[in-house]
Amino acid sequence: MINLKVVSPQKVIFEKEVEMAVLPGAEGDFAAMPNHSPFISSLRPGQMAIMSSNKVDESFFVSGGLVMLKEKVCEVLVDQIEPLSDVNSSNYQQSKTYQELEGNETALGTFEQVVNNPPYK
Amino acid sequence: MPNLKELKNRISSVKSTRKITSAMKMVAASKLRRAQELAESSRVYADSLSFILSSLAGNTKNSSDLPEILTGRENSKISLLIINSSDRGLCGGFNSNLFRNAKKWISDQQGQGKSVKIMTVGKKASSFYKKTDLDIVASFEDLNSNDRQLQVSEEIKNKILELFESNEIDEVSILFNKFVSAISQEPTYQSLIPLSNEETIEDESEVNNAVFEFEPDKNELLEYLVPRNFLTQIYRSVLESSASEHAARMTSMDNATRNAGDMIDRLTLTYNRTRQAFITKELIEIISGAEAV
Repeated sequence: MINLKVVSPQKVIFEKEVEMAVLPGAEGDFAAMPNHSPFISSLRPGQMAIMSSNKVDESFFVSGGLVMLKEKVCEVLVDQIEPLSDVNSSNYQQSKTYQELEGNETALGTFEQVVNNPPYK
Repeated sequence: MPNLKELKNRISSVKSTRKITSAMKMVAASKLRRAQELAESSRVYADSLSFILSSLAGNTKNSSDLPEILTGRENSKISLLIINSSDRGLCGGFNSNLFRNAKKWISDQQGQGKSVKIMTVGKKASSFYKKTDLDIVASFEDLNSNDRQLQVSEEIKNKILELFESNEIDEVSILFNKFVSAISQEPTYQSLIPLSNEETIEDESEVNNAVFEFEPDKNELLEYLVPRNFLTQIYRSVLESSASEHAARMTSMDNATRNAGDMIDRLTLTYNRTRQAFITKELIEIISGAEAV
């Protein structure tokens, strides 16, 4: 298990032990698992998926940020984050994340795509 | 002899002042709790970010490889000072302490042959510095909600980057009242350009233990990180300042309430004495009138 800690500039969103987390790295998706080599990467907008035994347990949209991966800790510093369980194709435009991303076409496009058809389901 | 009616009015007006100050104290106390929570919960992000930044910077052996915005320019000529004041008054020495401190800093800088530009946050600073002949590059007001605080931090960051790129400023420092405890706040400077390396040194042992891989490469990552770090540091200073403001207001309103209480006691004493003196005087008048008959 790896300790996944998700932090926004305002607060700690959550911190918990997970088997695997898939993150949208700037140069491609990667999976954070225990004993990964120390690694720092920026994030592109996309889906963050918490997985166990090849199934997605929880799924989020992140608008970008940074991730620092150590042996047993995965720290994700996100700009904006939205649990995908809260949004669907009809209401995502009302979400706070959507409003805050106003003007950022790429991120909004990705948001729409992730909501309607997430890469990991 | 003081007029009884006048004294009575005086007492009732001090009483209503006391009501106001004690209400303000209560409001400040509850706002302080919220502001303090915010300041504390934002610390996690800021700490992680500066850890990442310092492992990046520490990983680059030759400091000339680092961008100017981290290391600062050689021969810097123009410093920018960001002053975090409050929007409202009635918070004791909160703002005046800050301005006094800033004045010293500014004359220090000018003594070193640098010119100083000012960026103000909060109404108090903007109205104070309007009267001086300092160059104000921008003013931000009405930081009354958390969203607004974040928004203002973002605007300040953009402005700094813009000014630095157009060579209008070489150094940036930020001045704010650091929240030490509910009764003590401390004017604190933090250097943004060049990046103050307090934290860099602190974490050095840890940084050396873990050799990180970076993706994308360091320079691209720095490009993303540096503005992020500015934003976080500015946001943090804004939050600290707001917690300090409420704390300062709470203590000063507590004092004011106590002073009003003392004043009421004194006035009531004078009022009673005067009333008694009047009664005695009237009695004397009656008695001496009766004796004369």
